[in-house]
Amino acid sequence: MGKKNKNSDKEDRKYNADGSDEEDQNFSDEDGFVDDITDEELLGDLLAEKPKESDGVESVVIVDQLPVVEEARLAKLKQVINKLFQGYGKIVSTYYPQVEQEVEDDKGKRTVKMTKGYVFIEYDNPKSALAALEKNAHKLDKQHTLLVNLFTDFEKFANIPDEWEPPKKVDYKERPHLHHWLMEPDAYDQYSVLNQHNLCQVWLNSLPQPTLLQEKERWSDMFMVWSPLGTYLATFHMQGVQLWGGKNLERIEKFIQPGVHFIDFSPNEEYLVCFSPRVDSPNQQHLVMYDIRTGVKERSFSVEQHSMWPVFRWSKDDKFFAKIEPDKLSVYETPSFALLNKKSINITGIKDFDWSPTDNILAYWVEEDKNTPARVVLLEVPSRKELRTNNLFNVADCKIHWQKSGDYLCVKVDRYSKVKKEKGEVKYSSMYYNFEIFHMREKNIPVDSVEIKEPTHAFAWEPVGDKFAVIHGEPSNVSVSFYAVKTGQAPTLLRRLERKSANHLFWSPMGTYIVLAELRDTGTLEFVDTTDFTVMNAAEHHQATDVEWDPTGRYVISGVSLWKTKADTGYWLWSFQGKIIKRYNSPIFCQLRWRPRPTSLLSKDQVDKIKKSLKKYTPAFEAKDRQRMNKASKELIEKRRKLLTQFEELREKLRETYLAEKDERKQLRNYIDTDELEAGMEEELVEFVIKEEVTICE
Amino acid sequence: MKPLILQGHERSITQIKYNREGDILISCAKDADANVWYSVNGERLGTLSGSKGTIWTIDIDWMTTRILTGHADGKLKMWDITNGTTLSDIPTFSNSAVRTCGFSYSANLAAYSNDDTMGMKCCLSVLDVRNADSTTSAEPVVKMQVTEQSGKITSLLWGNLDQYIITGHVRGDICTWDLRMGRELENISAHAKEPINDMQFSKDATMFITASKDNTAKLFTTHDRQLLKTYTTERPVNSAALSPILPHVVLGGGQEAREVTTTSTKVGKFDARLYHLIFEEEFARIKGHFGPINSLAFHPDGRSYASGGEDGFVRLHNFDQAYFDYTFDV
Repeated sequence: MGKKNKNSDKEDRKYNADGSDEEDQNFSDEDGFVDDITDEELLGDLLAEKPKESDGVESVVIVDQLPVVEEARLAKLKQVINKLFQGYGKIVSTYYPQVEQEVEDDKGKRTVKMTKGYVFIEYDNPKSALAALEKNAHKLDKQHTLLVNLFTDFEKFANIPDEWEPPKKVDYKERPHLHHWLMEPDAYDQYSVLNQHNLCQVWLNSLPQPTLLQEKERWSDMFMVWSPLGTYLATFHMQGVQLWGGKNLERIEKFIQPGVHFIDFSPNEEYLVCFSPRVDSPNQQHLVMYDIRTGVKERSFSVEQHSMWPVFRWSKDDKFFAKIEPDKLSVYETPSFALLNKKSINITGIKDFDWSPTDNILAYWVEEDKNTPARVVLLEVPSRKELRTNNLFNVADCKIHWQKSGDYLCVKVDRYSKVKKEKGEVKYSSMYYNFEIFHMREKNIPVDSVEIKEPTHAFAWEPVGDKFAVIHGEPSNVSVSFYAVKTGQAPTLLRRLERKSANHLFWSPMGTYIVLAELRDTGTLEFVDTTDFTVMNAAEHHQATDVEWDPTGRYVISGVSLWKTKADTGYWLWSFQGKIIKRYNSPIFCQLRWRPRPTSLLSKDQVDKIKKSLKKYTPAFEAKDRQRMNKASKELIEKRRKLLTQFEELREKLRETYLAEKDERKQLRNYIDTDELEAGMEEELVEFVIKEEVTICE
Repeated sequence: MKPLILQGHERSITQIKYNREGDILISCAKDADANVWYSVNGERLGTLSGSKGTIWTIDIDWMTTRILTGHADGKLKMWDITNGTTLSDIPTFSNSAVRTCGFSYSANLAAYSNDDTMGMKCCLSVLDVRNADSTTSAEPVVKMQVTEQSGKITSLLWGNLDQYIITGHVRGDICTWDLRMGRELENISAHAKEPINDMQFSKDATMFITASKDNTAKLFTTHDRQLLKTYTTERPVNSAALSPILPHVVLGGGQEAREVTTTSTKVGKFDARLYHLIFEEEFARIKGHFGPINSLAFHPDGRSYASGGEDGFVRLHNFDQAYFDYTFDV
């Protein structure tokens, strides 16, 4: 009561005029009343809704940095601008401010109306205006890069202080040593293990026992992902993605983007691509690219829900990334994150593409269309030069396999002899398979072909070297064939291993050794040395779902993941020769990932030199191994001794009471001592007649 | 040495036991017969038949004169081993299955328990079996009801000097029952809420081993039920036995019978496993059964053991010299 403002007098009068019967009530301020309540306090909520000058202009954007044109060319400019901006919503009106100017040219001195180089575009709703901001930094031509701002931001820009305030010096924050894990003196590798209930672990694969480096519950809400060179460990959270690195895997950076399900690092770890399948607010984009070092959002894309991951594929040096779209390939460049040459490459019927792992070359293939054959094209970027085109007939499908060192490209072509169309579905029959081998390092890139008539199940290049392996054959008789690719020669069959039970191929990252695995079935693992194709060892990890080589090619992990089966989950560690090192059976095991290593800094000559003088180094390593083993067995024996003495002590005590109770025991069993087996036993001699023989003596 | 395979049952073996001296092996199965065998050559001495339904449990007294069997139809029978005749049909006053039974050390008393099905409560009953053949006085001397939390009794052992009884329960508890006071003395949670399938004594009965569906077997002291050791496998353990002469433990079990049909025998892991008693390390596996092992028993001389499986066979394994020569580095 008593709260009054300056309007109260008026209200008073009004009540009285209404004929209110409280005529004698006085609402006027008492003498000396001081109004100490501000308007904001009383009706702050109403004031917030008070109309402002800028109201109704949320749907307006200002496009700046337009070319300055005269009246005659304005129509043309309008057309261009309309075309650019009508995609974001219905344009209600545009306004190009003009000014009269005196110009002097070949037509003489005259006054013309010139545009001021900017335009107001009004949409029918603020959402469209917001969307139109995407055209900010759009290159109209060489001289003109558009600046697009919301009209409502005008206030923001108007309020920029006139005096420049130098930014405060930020203290130098030391970054953790990101390559610390490579300093490990014994060159042990690390791996991450993801368990049920998001129990996340990082292990060091030390000898003779691995060491648990870190263990955190709910470290990640989904997966743990290493960056391609092993510098960062990425974890997934409701709010976004975090990167960890350095000595103790400290947090390096966080990227706030709700609901990220997939991420992809660029090959040199410069950029991170995050994808959220569901977004909460209309302003949020599905796919965002970040600069890893600065944590800055570089560009976002709206991508269709059901695109194949990764949506973008990166060139080897992080300079380009490309996306396939219906009948076109869009190549973008960094650091501008704009379309290369401002337009996509139109390729009718493009099906798939992939970058070379070592050069800025990409291979794509185009499907067959009535009379034109399917073709595989090697395209150089950014020159867009077609280095090689290979036409193919009767193609049902193609798979592009680059060799890791970029020396060869194999395109596996599924071909048919007959084709039938049934109810709009195309049915192929009498399939056969071609492997088109492109020799990348030779002049004009010659192509060789290998044909296999049987169904093929897997293909894999030797990561370094010039071999490839193929699993083929009917289910009852599966073979694994190894081919060698040589300069100027058709690939030669090196060896065919017949009657194998394998459905996956895993080459050692260093080449030469390969694991043939039958995953998700018997879990047969065969370790093959491809110098002479001997099976070094054949073993079994029942129902194995995963096989992973460590980055150095020394160890192999076979795993049974809880995501795929329910029983006997865990992971087993093998040497590259197929010797079992350790079995870790864990009912909660889901996924294991080795931490990758960057490529060696040693030159090829240096590596060869080390390989040659291996004999010099081995004694030292062997001594070290022996020492470790001795230490381990000593520790084990000590542990056992301790257990033994403890147990003996306890047994002695139990034995004492046992002996003390002997009389009571005897009492219970009619005074017969049954403590020892022989006690109370009477030996009885029984004679049997087994056989009766009668010999008649003469 | 090749194991002796005793084929005397048509269905899954439920329990096997040696007599005190080890010359006799007794077995019972789901096919309603109990068999008595000579352990030395696997010859069948005789069959105890005449009952209907599964026999869940069997025991033999220390003098090798009487056998006690517990039946799924709620019967408890005492047999004369010398001629295979029924000495007594002991009324259990229950329709539910007799799950466990056992003679006391003196064999003057016997204990049994019944399932908590058919509207019955699980009870632990103690009989004086000296006069059990006269049908008039077959009333239990003591009868104690098991608590709801522990659930039914799944294994039973007589404690030291016939003074108490130790029971293993369906929800992983181990209970101790005082017979003079007629009540539960102690209740410990031993196996994470999973049934204790079997309990067996060491030779001098100062320790006992439990076998549980939680994939482990555990060693306890008898007098104060202190946990000493844990032996971990990847499959439910149905039975565990302690060697009388060496610090060894044999464990048997495997994937449950109803899950086996969908998988190969390899997945089932039906091997018997030998562990070191003190170091808890597995050092050998013995193949044989093509179904889970339901019951194991060491011969009292420690030179052989017997296993009874879901496959209906009883296998008698004699250890070879390599087993006795094997030692752990200490």
